[in-house]
Amino acid sequence: MTDKERMDEAIAGGLDESQRDLLRARLSALPDTVPPRAVWQRIEAQARAEGLLSGTRFRQSSKWLAGAAIAAAVAIVVLRLPFTAGPAIDTQSFGTEPPLAEMQNNNGLHAVNALMVQSQRLERNLRALPGQPSVMRAGTAATIYELEAGIAAIDSRLNHSEDSLTQEQAEIYWRERVRLMDSLVRLRYAQAQRVSF
Amino acid sequence: MRDMSKFADIQIDPGIVKRAARGDVRAHEIIYRAFSSPVYSVCLRFTRVPAQAEDLLQETFIEVMRSISKFRGEAPLGSWIRRIAISKALMYLRSAWHSRGQSLDDDWDEVTAGGAEVHGVPGRPDQALDLDAALGNLPPVSRAVVWLHDVEGFTHREIAGLMGKTESFSKSQLSRAYRRLRPLLDPSVGNTATGSVLRGPALQSC
Repeated sequence: MTDKERMDEAIAGGLDESQRDLLRARLSALPDTVPPRAVWQRIEAQARAEGLLSGTRFRQSSKWLAGAAIAAAVAIVVLRLPFTAGPAIDTQSFGTEPPLAEMQNNNGLHAVNALMVQSQRLERNLRALPGQPSVMRAGTAATIYELEAGIAAIDSRLNHSEDSLTQEQAEIYWRERVRLMDSLVRLRYAQAQRVSF
Repeated sequence: MRDMSKFADIQIDPGIVKRAARGDVRAHEIIYRAFSSPVYSVCLRFTRVPAQAEDLLQETFIEVMRSISKFRGEAPLGSWIRRIAISKALMYLRSAWHSRGQSLDDDWDEVTAGGAEVHGVPGRPDQALDLDAALGNLPPVSRAVVWLHDVEGFTHREIAGLMGKTESFSKSQLSRAYRRLRPLLDPSVGNTATGSVLRGPALQSC
């Protein structure tokens, strides 16, 4: 047996040619899976937020953005609650913040939409992580609680003040929500890593 | 590369592609409807996690929207979209999101340590009847190599390039996967299964 034959046999993993053909045929015959319908809506929303689409179909609810009225100055204070001391987690591997230049190039509405999409993506990432362990460090538990409380406060503000927020205020809220969600996901991810090892 | 995947069978009118390049949402929706199932299926084969496959599907088509103005039509649109999808899926396998932080290194030790099988003998006989389950029991990287090589028609050199590994790595992964899948190709298994091996169950989204 030549070297090439030995190598070919090794690659074949003990399968002869007909078995390999059969395996390929069976693999190719596996049926495709249809994705959930909602995925296209998410894609369209993100694409519009990034300004990738032309056309007049605009599905985002802009009611609460158009109804800019009272400046929720008090609410902004909420955004500065003590969430700045995030957990020490590697920040290089996530990249969840939108590129600054990209955000500056968009107008305010696009920026808000992009932040909303980003927030949804972080929510999905969070859901994809394993559940919280039954036992966790007190410091971790406290930080998670603070992050969740901050997100809840912002959600409450957004839900109950949607007609009274200016576009700029809405952007601030959504940006802060993304930041807190990002911290929460990082923390939960690090927690999951610790549990798995 | 032997273009034998389902992507190659899907034809899109060049006019639709031009409209998509101008940002026409309807054109993009047509392209999405045509390719979403094969893209999603590839992503699901790689990740086995519907939520992650949905994210990869979204990332793939956002990338299509960003880049379609640069698509020159020298290759079929399906091949181009497939390349993006596979690139995204492999990035997922490399990413921190992948469970247990696995890298694209040889992860067979973890699988065999689990007692699934030794020397091509399946741990549970019923798994031999289910190609999809058998694929799912391969290490993620090996599963990806099998799929890229045997279904999508990539060469070992191309797979090595996509994964940032050597050709030997790709060949080794394929060889070990073949040994694992070999019981499925036993004619007696196929007969007793009344052809069920051929119809491996579709992955379900949740």
